[in-house]
Amino acid sequence: MALIEVDDLVKEYQLNVRHKGLLGSIRSLLIPEYTKKVAVDSISFSIEKGETVGFIGPNGAGKSTTVKMLTGILTPTSGTITVGGLSPYKDRKKNASRIGVVFGQRTQLWWDLPVADTFDLLKYIYKIPDNVFRENMELFSDILGLQEFMKQPVRQLSLGQKMRADIGAALLHNPEIIFFDEPTIGLDVVAKEQIREFVRTVNRERGTTMLFTTHDMLDIEKTCKRMIIIDHGKKIYDGTVEEIKDKYGRSRVLRVEFSEYIADVQLPGAEMIKEEGNKKWFEFQKDQTQVSRLINTLSQKYGIVDITVQEPEIEGVIREIYQGGIDLNETLSGVS
Amino acid sequence: MRNSGFLESLNVFYQYSKLSLKVMLEFKLDRSMITLAIFCREMIAVVVMLLILARFLHIRGWDMNQLFFLYSFLFISYSLFVFIFAGVRDFDQLVHSGEFDRYLIRPRGLLFQVVASKIDLPATLGHGVVGVILFMNTAFSVGITWNMQNILFYISVVVGGAVIQASIFMLTACMSFWAIRIENIRNLIFFNARRIAGYPISFYPAFIQKMLIFIVPFSFVNYFPAQFFIRKEDMNLFWDGFMYMTPVVGVVMFVVVSLFWRFGVRSYSSSGNALY
Repeated sequence: MALIEVDDLVKEYQLNVRHKGLLGSIRSLLIPEYTKKVAVDSISFSIEKGETVGFIGPNGAGKSTTVKMLTGILTPTSGTITVGGLSPYKDRKKNASRIGVVFGQRTQLWWDLPVADTFDLLKYIYKIPDNVFRENMELFSDILGLQEFMKQPVRQLSLGQKMRADIGAALLHNPEIIFFDEPTIGLDVVAKEQIREFVRTVNRERGTTMLFTTHDMLDIEKTCKRMIIIDHGKKIYDGTVEEIKDKYGRSRVLRVEFSEYIADVQLPGAEMIKEEGNKKWFEFQKDQTQVSRLINTLSQKYGIVDITVQEPEIEGVIREIYQGGIDLNETLSGVS
Repeated sequence: MRNSGFLESLNVFYQYSKLSLKVMLEFKLDRSMITLAIFCREMIAVVVMLLILARFLHIRGWDMNQLFFLYSFLFISYSLFVFIFAGVRDFDQLVHSGEFDRYLIRPRGLLFQVVASKIDLPATLGHGVVGVILFMNTAFSVGITWNMQNILFYISVVVGGAVIQASIFMLTACMSFWAIRIENIRNLIFFNARRIAGYPISFYPAFIQKMLIFIVPFSFVNYFPAQFFIRKEDMNLFWDGFMYMTPVVGVVMFVVVSLFWRFGVRSYSSSGNALY
């Protein structure tokens, strides 16, 4: 059995309908009206031990609700979840001791105290043995660089330092599964990379299962092999990052710098999309036009200084999926 | 086994308290000023009462020392209540900010975490000191023999009184699970009931007496326990058994409210703080 099994998961919220203005407020106070909102609409998936899975989807797609159900914060309206053989909400405490959760937008560190104090408290809350605690502190100091600011009050830390400390705090009790809810939000490039590196190391060395929700596609590309896309509460894709890129990232851009200015370049099979001085950008479909043929044509006719082929970024592909530009079809193995 | 679990929890509680204390020491001056402010606020009420009572020898058979002995229960039990249950008092903020979610993903009891994570020492000390001053000045001049039996009973009614007040606060805290905020109404009812209970309830019309016995049972926090010790004539208005009931009322209220709390947690986990 897989480590995480989710079967036909549904979550509906009863939302209070609020009307505009003061009169509206009074009205909803006296005669409450409710609407039903389906946040998660029969999602199923399973995750094996040691997998790294990215959960993506536009705002309000149901990612957070799903994660909240997996961590035992919310109960499902229907459907079943088992995490390591347990039901996260029925065996809340048992499940809690085996998972770690990092909320990118909310810290669990004591705001006015040094990081070390929160870590000490967590040692008692999670009943962490001395040797495990010590080992972890060493590891975190090495890779996350925590020792630099362990003695500083949390309120004085930068966003990146705080995030690193928060990740350390969530991993202190050697959880089997870690949930990251937007772990790199608001961080600079270096801090992001440091966190991704840490995540990869922990996954590799300990075989920890990891789930991410993020809006940063680079997070997913660099840390996750598998990707689950959710939209309007439904799972629309579940498969490798590579596959979706292969299948839908078919267009390529050829960037050419000519030795002199050429007014009109004729290039069959490709379309010029941008022009800047001696540089021109051509877009083509890789399954229709061979790049070698394009380069041949160009180099025979013109003097070329530099030439590069650009792959589409996964972000572009995802954007198109959200906007409905790409219809995920049945030929893709991950589509359910 | 169960016992070692209890000791272990107690240790975690102690670790939490250590951190709360450290935070307080970070802001020594600020917290000292708040403590002083609370002390002064409560002391002024005492002084005003003193000035008024100084014009009379007795009010309906109660002399000044007896009245202040009655009053001291309110402060001492409130101090104990705030010392332990400050987290319950401020529970609405915890739910509103979404911080409660964090408690749900920790392998500890929820009420335990709520209680352990917050200590309000300024309020504890501010009220406690007033209570102790009143107690020390009255307890030995109202004719109580402080034998073992009386001391034990005194402790049990102070604890009982603290639990009664905690239950009232917890009941309103539970409303946060349904995104209903009634802290202002609660404070209005709680603190006014407390003020009324500053005098013997026999002074008041029957309606208010009933309210302080059956609805906001402050009479069990101070009036009935005080009657146990100094037995005044006006106790004839009430059933004798009430004098011994404080711990029972505390336990019953706490059990009922705990059930309601569980029900609330279940409701919360079906909607989260999406309601806000």
